[in-house]
Amino acid sequence: METTKDRLTIQTPEQVGFEYVLAGLGSRTAAFLVDTVIRWFLILAILAAVLLFLRFLPALHLSGWITDVSRPWLIALGVLAYGLVDLGYFLLFEALWSGQTPGKRRQRLRVIRMNGQPIGWLESSIRNILRAVDLIAGFYPVGIVVVFLSRNNQRIGDYAAGTVVVVEGQQSVPRDRKQFVAPQVLTHPEMEWYVSRLKPAQYQVLRSFLERREQMEQGHRHELARLLSHQLFKQMSKSTRMSISYESFIEEIVALYEKRRRAI
Amino acid sequence: MENDTPVGTEKKFIIRLVGLQPGASRETLVQALQRLFKGKSAEEIGKALDRLPLLLSRSVPEDKARQIKLFLEAQGAILKITYSASAIMAPPKERRRPADVPARETPKAVESAPAGVERRAKPRVHQGIQVQPLGIGEILDRSFRLLRQYFWLFFIIIFIPQAVFFVVNFGLQFLTSGDMTQDFSLSMGAGFGISAFLAVLIFLVLQFWAQGALIHAVSETYLGHSTSIKASYGAMRSRLGRLIGTLILWSILVFGVPALFGIVAAVAIPSLAMMGLGGVIGGIIAVVVVILAIWIFTTLFLNWLLADKVVVLEEIGWMKALRRSKELMKGRTEPGFWKSIKTKASLIILVGFLIGIGIHLLFQLPGVLLGIVFPEGLVVTTVQGVLNMVAVSLATAYTAIAMILFYYDIRVRKEGFDLKMMAEKL
Repeated sequence: METTKDRLTIQTPEQVGFEYVLAGLGSRTAAFLVDTVIRWFLILAILAAVLLFLRFLPALHLSGWITDVSRPWLIALGVLAYGLVDLGYFLLFEALWSGQTPGKRRQRLRVIRMNGQPIGWLESSIRNILRAVDLIAGFYPVGIVVVFLSRNNQRIGDYAAGTVVVVEGQQSVPRDRKQFVAPQVLTHPEMEWYVSRLKPAQYQVLRSFLERREQMEQGHRHELARLLSHQLFKQMSKSTRMSISYESFIEEIVALYEKRRRAI
Repeated sequence: MENDTPVGTEKKFIIRLVGLQPGASRETLVQALQRLFKGKSAEEIGKALDRLPLLLSRSVPEDKARQIKLFLEAQGAILKITYSASAIMAPPKERRRPADVPARETPKAVESAPAGVERRAKPRVHQGIQVQPLGIGEILDRSFRLLRQYFWLFFIIIFIPQAVFFVVNFGLQFLTSGDMTQDFSLSMGAGFGISAFLAVLIFLVLQFWAQGALIHAVSETYLGHSTSIKASYGAMRSRLGRLIGTLILWSILVFGVPALFGIVAAVAIPSLAMMGLGGVIGGIIAVVVVILAIWIFTTLFLNWLLADKVVVLEEIGWMKALRRSKELMKGRTEPGFWKSIKTKASLIILVGFLIGIGIHLLFQLPGVLLGIVFPEGLVVTTVQGVLNMVAVSLATAYTAIAMILFYYDIRVRKEGFDLKMMAEKL
């Protein structure tokens, strides 16, 4: 069977365990994609600035040292700026944003030290200078293989710097978290008794349905509500005839359960 | 397991065994449980494991519950430990139902669904596996984990048609470059053409078969079951005709319709030029046709992206499969452009493409370098071919796995697939 998540457990000296979900190759590539687009824009901006400067420099009739700046020097400065963006982008962002770049922030990823602490300038420098080893022609052929073989999904730069990339929190799945108000008059007199017998797992299924039903297609939503209600009726040994809709019935059960739980 | 601590003196816990961790050995867990339940035989425990969830203890003190948790989870058990309020309140041994409530019936199968709603085949989900809505990062990461965990299974499934094609292609190249070319006649040429055509045909059939087998294998492993290369190929036998038909139809429509626009433009533009309407007008028409063809190709490609999964996992084919794929791909399950179904699919393909380029670079660079050092030679050609096959198989496998997980994610979100599975076990 498949393991659902790669995890890194860090034990503090006080014997408190922290568990992190390790970022895989996919989410890291997605983050890299976002960062690459941003870097391209930055590089294009530098290129445009250099070209504009070359075009309009003679027309400005400037005096002093700037008139001595020749075309090759400007081009060299442009190349240097490109190099700084290419390397400095990751280095600066990861050092200043506690292990995140815009791409990693979008994917909810963060680089941390192996002991769980945030990375600093040193770690950021090592892992990003060694990026050159993983990279060939803008892609990560070596990085892919090293991450694939690594237990903690680390690339060479991560090994050298003693860092890992972790996932921060869950990906957001829209859920309707509203509280349902239990009605004053119950649809079924035995509802109270049944709700008292409702198991947490059963409640979770009903609650999940109510939270996610807005995302579902109408036909499947009604079908699922019907299926859940019928399963509950069977356990209650009730007839399936109801004066309210299946969804209202489920809402009522969930509301009653939550009311009882709050009371406890 | 029953403890003798007086009720009410400390917190008590209920321990239930609800499943086996992925990859856990059943035998190890049986042995571990035998250590806890000394009077029970392995067979008795084995039978009890067939009826999960299994109540291990109703009332255990905290420290003991912790010990049991550590011990059994290390042996691959998934435990559910709940706080036993009833233990403190000293409940009666047997709770009675209210008199007016009839006894609970044994659950029966629910009534059939309204026509058209539940027409799909229902995949079985292993008890220890959680299927739930996934974010795009989770889909990509889970695909990577699946590929790593079942590397040889997925790799060999994809590798088989590549290898067959390589061997046949190699054989044909060998034949044409040998002495036979010196006495080349028309009949031999026809024979060679037919052989080449048959080789391509066999490759295509094998390729589609492998595609279906991979979908089956990924689906089985994702839902918590085990499978093998033989079983995956075997499972496709009955669906192969339908799969090939649907994929050929898919190819004709996805590539044919935009190509039709190209043909029309290729005929129309010179005709307009002959009528004296060339130049700017011809250029504008060409640009419009190209944009239109790209738009049609992208739309059709994304709409029918899940057709192969539908054929294999829902057992419907041809136009029905294409329609079903379109139905799954339309609309949105979350607000925002970046979270629309088609954008997510495009992002998965793009990430797969990037990883694919990386893999190709890694595996083809040695071949290229070898070619530079030794410009000619059978060994170099063979090595290059093998490396290319490995690269293609690896690059294909990752994206294919991600797309299968994406298919399940859409069903989970739009159809509550996971909730239906859970509802049936309520």
